[in-house]
Amino acid sequence: MKILVTDDSRVMRQIVIRTLRQAGYDDHDIVEAVDGRDAFDKVGTEKPDLVLSDWNMPEMTGIECLEALRASGSQVPFGFVTSEGSPEMREKAANAGALFLIAKPFNEDTFKDALDGVIA
Amino acid sequence: MTLQEAQSITALLDQETVQSIADEIWPALVGDGEAFVPVPVAPPAEVVSAWVTISGPWDGAVVLTCAPATAEALAESVLMTRPPTVVDDEDVADALGELANVLGGNIKSVLPGPSSLGLPQIGSAPTTGRLDDVCRVNGQWRGQSLTITVQGATPALHPSGTEVPQ
Repeated sequence: MKILVTDDSRVMRQIVIRTLRQAGYDDHDIVEAVDGRDAFDKVGTEKPDLVLSDWNMPEMTGIECLEALRASGSQVPFGFVTSEGSPEMREKAANAGALFLIAKPFNEDTFKDALDGVIA
Repeated sequence: MTLQEAQSITALLDQETVQSIADEIWPALVGDGEAFVPVPVAPPAEVVSAWVTISGPWDGAVVLTCAPATAEALAESVLMTRPPTVVDDEDVADALGELANVLGGNIKSVLPGPSSLGLPQIGSAPTTGRLDDVCRVNGQWRGQSLTITVQGATPALHPSGTEVPQ
């Protein structure tokens, strides 16, 4: 399984990847994207099985990326990992087709709760 | 005037709430057993700040301020680097910015909405506005000074228009 980790912060991408490993998802291929535009492009070229994405990013936000993916016909499983987890954002994410929204700060248990059933 | 109608941060947020948010962030992001301790120590001579803006019913910024050496140590802890690996300036700015970002996102969630969060910025902290529109926790991490400031935007950024008082 291939997971695309999208965040404009390299530090946060490293933390997300580390937490995936701590949560037991350590035998998957990880690819990285630096913003929503990069993620949109890499869904086409890398063909990930899951996209984990920050919300607030330059160039293209996470929600814009998800909307663009769905508009282009991609149904790639998509979840947010973001510093904001308000009910409004969760509703917006769900309406756009996101499977889950993990709010920062998170730990491996938060990841397991969100990802069990999504990652085989 | 709009500025007088807007609620100040001290009416919306207290230091205990800021501390409780930091209590969740430090172990998760900085590392197991790490804590932001709300006991002030002597402020450093030279400081660096990272902040995110919040724009909505309350306008302002969430600012994290510490000495450059503390910022470097925070980045090393966040990235779990071990000697001889060193963090570069970009990683230090990134790590401090992400801490401010996660603080800001969580503080935004307890303020009236809808509001939006800006992208992290780093440098000299923005100037504070009204004195009663500042909620500050002076604390420490590993004995080094660290300050979390939730501060209203300066009035100059939000002119109230050309209304003439009666």
